[in-house]
Amino acid sequence: MDLGRRIASRLAAATAERITGAGLDNAQLNRPHIERSVLDLAPLAFGDGDRAVVVAAGPSLRRRDSIARLARSGFKGAIVAVDSALGACLRAGVLPHVVVTVDPHPERIVRWFGDPDLTAPPADDYFRRQEMDRTHAVDEVAANRKLVELVDRYGPRLRVAAATSAAPKVVERCRQSGMTLYWWNPMYDDYDRADSVSRRLHRDNGLPCLNGGGNVGTAAWVLTHAVLGKRRIGLIGMDFGYAPGTKYEQTQYYPELREMFGDRLGEAFIRIENPTTGETWLTDPAYYWFRDVFFEMSREADCETVNCTEGGILCGPEIKAVTLEEFVNG
Amino acid sequence: MTDYLKGNYKVDAKIEEPQGEAPNSTDEFEKKALSRLGGSICFVSKKGFLWKGDGADGSGTKDR
Repeated sequence: MDLGRRIASRLAAATAERITGAGLDNAQLNRPHIERSVLDLAPLAFGDGDRAVVVAAGPSLRRRDSIARLARSGFKGAIVAVDSALGACLRAGVLPHVVVTVDPHPERIVRWFGDPDLTAPPADDYFRRQEMDRTHAVDEVAANRKLVELVDRYGPRLRVAAATSAAPKVVERCRQSGMTLYWWNPMYDDYDRADSVSRRLHRDNGLPCLNGGGNVGTAAWVLTHAVLGKRRIGLIGMDFGYAPGTKYEQTQYYPELREMFGDRLGEAFIRIENPTTGETWLTDPAYYWFRDVFFEMSREADCETVNCTEGGILCGPEIKAVTLEEFVNG
Repeated sequence: MTDYLKGNYKVDAKIEEPQGEAPNSTDEFEKKALSRLGGSICFVSKKGFLWKGDGADGSGTKDR
């Protein structure tokens, strides 16, 4: 097994070890703001019928113009977006029924909601360097300012499914812009164990625990079928990889991988051919782990999952791939 | 702690640190990678999607 895949196979335990402390700390800080459970979303019955589209923020979203196509398609089902796709949705005139946020990072995630305190480009080049939302790469401060305005305008009409692990700065921004928050706990471990962190957290705040699958995109998909009860789910922007031609330095974990692997950087990356498009996509150990987890979870899910990304590495027998229009009209 | 663990004797034997693997070994790379990489939320295998607790009213079930 090559280095990248070997690392990927051990990321479940490594993730738990790395983020559980921060998530639990945030759960305590967020406690005074918890008024609603994510279970309160279920009776609201978003959209017509049992269909939903989950909007993630991978590069195919822009390459395939997926959000504009979704807006033009006349799709009547539910739309659930990850936090990093919120800006792209609002710019395209798509108002998601639910926005999902989970990441405990203290500084970065608020940017997906527009950070009112940002007045100069930060030293952290996370947003400039990557290709998740190119508007941030051109003029970070101006892009942020526009996003602040958009989120302020639409905030009172937005519902956020917020994990208790979410950074307090994100929670403050959501509340300040008038969003309604619906809370849930990340499932940290096996709740059947007597010493379970998940069980202790549930006992403390009474909220349900969602199995997040490693990332906000998978968490949004879990919420869409396990909480909202949707049975046919189309995915857009859920690539778990980087488009052909992407340079290593434009990938999410590049600084960490470069520091760790130096000259052997390339060994950490994995190349996967998408059978639908014939393109070879690049992925890293974290995204490769997300993909494996998604396949495992999709085999257990009580819903049909349809990949409408027209790209990425989420291709396998478990998940049918069609165009967005075929999904909407099928 | 050092206030309580001061040595009051010297040992004759020379203590040598065990030889670790070379810093550029694959194991070392993996160890470093695992401390820096990963997701923003956990994944718990074979535990379903939603756990509402063990409520006596029957609502606390593992939903798939």
